[in-house]
Amino acid sequence: MSDATHPNGMPLMPMTSGNTRGNKTGSWRFLRPIYSDATAACRAGCPNVNDIQSAMRLLADGDLDRAWESLIWENPFPAITGRVCHHPCEDVCNRAKFDDALGIHSVERFLGDHALREAKRVPKLRELQSTSVAVIGAGPAGLACAYHLARLGHGVTIYEADDEPGGVLRYGIPNYRLPKDILEGEIERVLDLGVRLVTDTRLGEGLQWDELKVFDAMFVATGLGRSRRLDVPGDGLQGVHDGLEFLRTLNTGGTIDVGQRVAVIGGGNTAMDVARSARRLGAEVDVFYRRSRDEMPAIADEIEEALEEDVEIHTLLSPVAIHGDDRVASIELVRMRLGEPDDSGRRRPIPIEGDTLTREVEAVITAIGEGPDFSFLPETMETDWNVITVDDVGRTRDPSVWAGGDVVAQPHTVVDALASGKRAAMAIDRMFDDVDPRVIREEARLGRANGLSMRRYVQGAATGVDPERVVDYDEVNPNYFPHKQRTPTTKRNGYHDIADDFEEVELGFIDSFAQREAERCFNCGTCTECDNCFVFCPDFAVLRTGDPDHPYRIDTDYCKGCGICAHECPRGAIRLELEEKAVAQV
Amino acid sequence: MKRVIIGNHAVSIGAQLARVDVIAAYPITPQTGIVEELAELCAHGDLEAKFVKVESEHSAMASCIGASAGGSRAFTATSSQGLALMHEVLHWASGARLPIVMAEVNRALAPAWSIWSEQTDSLAQRDTGWLQLYCESNQEVLDTTVQAFKIAERVKLPTMIVLDAFFLSHTSESVEVPEQADVDDFLPPYEPAVRMNVDDPHAFGSLVTPDAYYEFRHKIQQGFDEAKDAIDEVGHEYGKRFGRFYGQVEAYRTDDADVVLVTASTITSTARDVVDERRAHGEKVGLLKIRAFRPFPFEAVRAALLGVPKVAVIDRNLSFGHHGIFHAELKSALYGQPQAPTIFGCVAGLGGRDITPDTIHQIVDIAQTSDEPTEEPYWIGLKQAEAVATNGRSR
Repeated sequence: MSDATHPNGMPLMPMTSGNTRGNKTGSWRFLRPIYSDATAACRAGCPNVNDIQSAMRLLADGDLDRAWESLIWENPFPAITGRVCHHPCEDVCNRAKFDDALGIHSVERFLGDHALREAKRVPKLRELQSTSVAVIGAGPAGLACAYHLARLGHGVTIYEADDEPGGVLRYGIPNYRLPKDILEGEIERVLDLGVRLVTDTRLGEGLQWDELKVFDAMFVATGLGRSRRLDVPGDGLQGVHDGLEFLRTLNTGGTIDVGQRVAVIGGGNTAMDVARSARRLGAEVDVFYRRSRDEMPAIADEIEEALEEDVEIHTLLSPVAIHGDDRVASIELVRMRLGEPDDSGRRRPIPIEGDTLTREVEAVITAIGEGPDFSFLPETMETDWNVITVDDVGRTRDPSVWAGGDVVAQPHTVVDALASGKRAAMAIDRMFDDVDPRVIREEARLGRANGLSMRRYVQGAATGVDPERVVDYDEVNPNYFPHKQRTPTTKRNGYHDIADDFEEVELGFIDSFAQREAERCFNCGTCTECDNCFVFCPDFAVLRTGDPDHPYRIDTDYCKGCGICAHECPRGAIRLELEEKAVAQV
Repeated sequence: MKRVIIGNHAVSIGAQLARVDVIAAYPITPQTGIVEELAELCAHGDLEAKFVKVESEHSAMASCIGASAGGSRAFTATSSQGLALMHEVLHWASGARLPIVMAEVNRALAPAWSIWSEQTDSLAQRDTGWLQLYCESNQEVLDTTVQAFKIAERVKLPTMIVLDAFFLSHTSESVEVPEQADVDDFLPPYEPAVRMNVDDPHAFGSLVTPDAYYEFRHKIQQGFDEAKDAIDEVGHEYGKRFGRFYGQVEAYRTDDADVVLVTASTITSTARDVVDERRAHGEKVGLLKIRAFRPFPFEAVRAALLGVPKVAVIDRNLSFGHHGIFHAELKSALYGQPQAPTIFGCVAGLGGRDITPDTIHQIVDIAQTSDEPTEEPYWIGLKQAEAVATNGRSR
């Protein structure tokens, strides 16, 4: 200073002689920036609100273990869902509006496989208590419910009708999509939490409803075991197979002679699994679906892979008869046209009278939908058509009985099943506290839909994530991200000769690629300490704290509320709120 | 070590030797090579500086202002339209007494669109409070870049190093590159008089009433007065250390001269040859090179020119409705002085047209054969309209 001061007392340059700290320019502020990690669009778009954003960030930092741990808060089966989930998260990934959506499922799978390879265990959240819950059905919903209940310290017994756990994951999904060792590895981890599994015990047969009254609560997740029948002349001929049974046979090591030419009826995931499995038995496969390609319920990747395996898909055709003496010889189909949308929102298929064609086939496999078997339920249990009536936390009319998975009204997907199991686990946990279970809808809610987060349920505000705010693309500042195509995964080359080959097709990322893909993540709503706010604040009102949980602090004495920090945050981790005085003036 | 380098790289290496801390620049032909080279040096770790990419020259200077206020040695480079865009913040740099150094490659302003050399762009920034040093060769460019930091930091005023587009910027010459250790001895790290410090915040450049503004301006003027000595002393110190001496002006064979040419930049080298040629024929012709345009070297110019009968100024620039700018400045320095010479103002080489020995011979001829100059500037080699239309932009 002395050097700059002129003999007459004037400084060399115009500057205040005194410190300007006394000028609290923060009093000018009408908007207040608030650091608040928010929910990323992907997470909000996941029915199970999997913590994708944390996993991506931790993986990008090279911390595979913690990345996996952030996933298993919500999802017991990253290796499974990384393979079989229809990944709605990727549909809403903000990066999709920039270049390519993140390969979330591939990263999830990578982390899941890492944990299996490392034989990682899941920590319990509480010590075992005296409470006991019966879970009926060891499919994804039942296993998820058991997993979360066990972590919360409750005693769980699962009753499974089949001789092995897994439900549709084991008996419905073919090995080439979900290898059995992966399935078993992840189920093993659930059982390691102290969950008791009783197999070969079907409710209504070896086990009666009333016997389960000894448990404090019950979760029913028996799934859809019965296929819908085709109901056309000839559907009883030899060579007509039920799709679920067909898959079950193959999944349990059996085989079926389907001949050289197979017709598969249906357009869902089961139809695709059946068709691709039949290709592996050496047959040429035609899939017939009564609506158009746009209405096919199967996930796009599945359809694509079926086509790559030379499955022929024919749309707007519906079977009217199966011909043959005692064995199937041909199938007759009527051409359809699309009319007005039906209850499902899809355009209703209408037969075009007289416009039929006949295809010679040796087998017909049906995959036109499945239904539940409710014969075991007591009369007091209310059902509506083919679902058990539950409230918005999965509780049935019997206050100690809960239901989830495909037996309640929700999409028939693995991830929805997992979410319903988690929801019931939280609700039952609340019931044990003598609290109205419906409070979980506030305590655990995340995002805009019905997502319930176990981490938020357990940690509450300590998660540091604003449950209300979802960061969509308009809150991302894309100027800070270079364009980068989705990192490729590896597929096994073998489509030209897949006979007898039920080995996994999709091989996921080679090791270093997973981190590379995680680095593409925008980290929507998550502060990554990029320092943009610190650098851009024109008032030095953004301060570094040195605390990794809260790396920055706004110095409200001097923050004028210009909002540059929020605008220049690449990932929407700062929100602006009207100051109270401003609200008062409005 | 001798290296064959273009003028742009002479700037870059000069900045590197000066160990600049922050470079903020936006590319413009013909300056681009300067910042490209500096970016490379930063990228390869040969220069430990923060290279700030900016979206305009205005931002480049604004960034330099911030960096300099924070106590860093800041550098930028620009040309022509880019310099014009900087205009507002040029005032800020000088008013805040920040010793930023900028290389400015003289390029004609548009339209007509041109990328070739002309001095009007830098001279148009005459009143922004920047020191301006015009260079004749790539060696002088490098040496002046190093000196500029020392001068600027001594008088606390920003300094512009000016070099001709293409004639220097893109022309390779043999340049003696000093050793880093020697430059370090010559130019110690920057010690700002006032360092902006977030822990002790002050308001800078804030409102000042008429009661004090006037005095601030006076201080800047005092700074420019001190700069004359600073330029000479730093140039002398540099000469003692590195063997090449510099000052505000350089007089060449002016003793006993009847006609003295006055030039800046590369025109000087050509004029030097013409002087030698005329001298060989027994004609008493001399040369005064103007290196410092701001501060204007009143005393040095008077010392060199008072008593000389005739002076011819060669301006590769023009103040429309007036004269070449060096001409006008020179007249103001000599006005009312005893034995002031008759001054001939010649405008030549606008838009990068070559100023050849022949051009300069014509100018010497005009001065020798005329008793009084014309009121209007002399246009040397001006084509008739038809010739321009048929011959296009060059002969």
